[in-house]
Amino acid sequence: MSTIQLRNLTKTFGDFTALKTMDLDIADGEFMALLGPSGCGKSTTMNMIAGMEEPTSGKILFGERDMAGVPMGRRGVGFVFQNYAIFTHMTVRQNLAYGPKMRGAAKAEIDRRVGAIAELLQLTPLLDRKADRLSVNILQRVAIGRSAIMEPAIFLLDEPLSNVDAAFRAVMRTELKQLQRQFKQTMVYVTHDQLEAMTMADRIAVMDHGVLQQVGTPLEVYNNPVNVFVARFIGAPGMNLLKGRPAESDRGLVVDLGPLGITPPLPDDLAATVRGARGEVLYGFRPEQVALAQDGRGLAMSVTFVERIGARTIVHLGQGEGAVKAVFDNDVGLSIGQTAVVAPDALSVRVFDAATGVAMKAS
Amino acid sequence: MDARTKPALRDEGARLGFRLTLPAQILVLFISVFPLLMQLYISVTDWSPLSGLGWWNAWEMWNSFANYTDLAADARFWSALKRTAIVMVVCVPAEFLLGLALATLFADDFPGKRIFYSILLMPMMVVPAVAGYMFFMLFQSGGPVNDILSAITGTRVTIAWLSDPTLALIAVMIADIWQWTPLMFLILLAGLVGVPEDQVKAATLLGANPWQRFTTIVLPKMKTIIIIALAIRVIENFKIFDTLYIMTGGGPGVATETISVYIYKVTTQDLIWGYVAAIALAILIVLSIVAVFAMKRMARARQVAA
Repeated sequence: MSTIQLRNLTKTFGDFTALKTMDLDIADGEFMALLGPSGCGKSTTMNMIAGMEEPTSGKILFGERDMAGVPMGRRGVGFVFQNYAIFTHMTVRQNLAYGPKMRGAAKAEIDRRVGAIAELLQLTPLLDRKADRLSVNILQRVAIGRSAIMEPAIFLLDEPLSNVDAAFRAVMRTELKQLQRQFKQTMVYVTHDQLEAMTMADRIAVMDHGVLQQVGTPLEVYNNPVNVFVARFIGAPGMNLLKGRPAESDRGLVVDLGPLGITPPLPDDLAATVRGARGEVLYGFRPEQVALAQDGRGLAMSVTFVERIGARTIVHLGQGEGAVKAVFDNDVGLSIGQTAVVAPDALSVRVFDAATGVAMKAS
Repeated sequence: MDARTKPALRDEGARLGFRLTLPAQILVLFISVFPLLMQLYISVTDWSPLSGLGWWNAWEMWNSFANYTDLAADARFWSALKRTAIVMVVCVPAEFLLGLALATLFADDFPGKRIFYSILLMPMMVVPAVAGYMFFMLFQSGGPVNDILSAITGTRVTIAWLSDPTLALIAVMIADIWQWTPLMFLILLAGLVGVPEDQVKAATLLGANPWQRFTTIVLPKMKTIIIIALAIRVIENFKIFDTLYIMTGGGPGVATETISVYIYKVTTQDLIWGYVAAIALAILIVLSIVAVFAMKRMARARQVAA
């Protein structure tokens, strides 16, 4: 078990900057997800932690120990590859025993450890099966077991669920989370799937274009995105953002959205910050935190599309820059072409600076 | 109804398939099966092109398997076979190990890799007869090989490479290794590049050192390709002829007379074709056994490696 500290970590490949001065503290035993679209630098970060790539500058510390120059075989890191990288020409037992055997452990010691880990991962009946014809969840367990047998302080997982079909992912997610609870290791999990990050991680580090955007618990990241990128990236669908200008009204500070009309007044603490802002702002609200206004006070928009997916209904409203989505728990009696008046929940409204994309914090 | 139409349809398909492939099958029959039967037929006679009979009338010279009994007692045949085996046992492993070492080297990047790669493949492109003449010149007692040895040792070296029985065989083997290591290298490199990188990395992360990675991951993954490479070289090496014949003509005496050279001599000098047919058939059987063995191993390796 170990903490991981990234200090000013930078990686460039020629002219391309894959990672820019990243600082991140991962606590002992924490499940940290690195989340971002492809090319955001999350895998590069992971590879540097594992020692597969050397940082261009900056430091990686495990606990107090600087990892510069420590080869990957000596870092005490367990790595689960995207495709698991199971040794297909061996049996499950040989896969599990590989690490201790390579380090010259005694036969009896290897047998004992393989037995223990197989028991823990419920692989005992499969020990003598060839590893090339196992289902993905077994492969995942073998991959984890093969690393766990070395008792690594740190576990790194590189999008292990990306090759798994959707129906099976939920099962795998639960299993993975349970395994993490059992091993209590520090885990770093790379993914582009926010559902995986939200459901499993203690904290999420959201990345984009080699820059760390925000670190926080899943709910922090969801509720209080620090900038427009995080707001749009987290949530399915992402946060609605409408361009407008702050304006005073008799009911308090509102945002003038131009042709879309005037928003309901902002809460006082948020209004205090927004009032000082110059120029345009982005008025943001979660599609899930929208109600149909009964009193006609809200944003009147025409319905362009309705997705009914059983438990939820996603209503697409407006067009172009002014397009928003609203998600309702139940079916709503709206059809294409109708006008709906939607009112975002006042407390969940977020406002961003339109020029910089940075969130304006309530004072 | 289903049960009756389906086999009928399948028969129909099979018949059509047979008719469509018939020309090709006849061709195969003529170029492979027919000569084989002809060879089998001649091998039990004393027929020779000088006997004044058409080969189809060779039955008139039926000698009740005397060719095969002669063969079993033919010391020159057995020593040629032994010599072929020695060449094979030295050359194939040497080519394999050199090829594997080079392939391992070329799996990583280094400056000038492409140029070295092209140079390395060149021997394979040289016509074997030309390569034979090249080595014939190199190994002359006043040739470059002795010149180099002289420069190294500082004394005038005049080894008569091709007229010494042992040295001639060594020279011939050096030529074979020079010419055919590139093929081994090429096949093994293809196999090496196909080893999943992730599994090698995983082994590294689990603490395996480079030698352990090589023996536990890389080699097992290359098993099929190694067997293919070895089988190709064993079969080709068994038939070693062009370079060797031009360098030594099988000599001095019979010191480098391999099985192909022996067959060639019996065919063109002694003209006893019935006997030649018997020798060639015996060789074919031996090589077929090698091929079947290799293919069986390959099938098993594929099961294991997949």
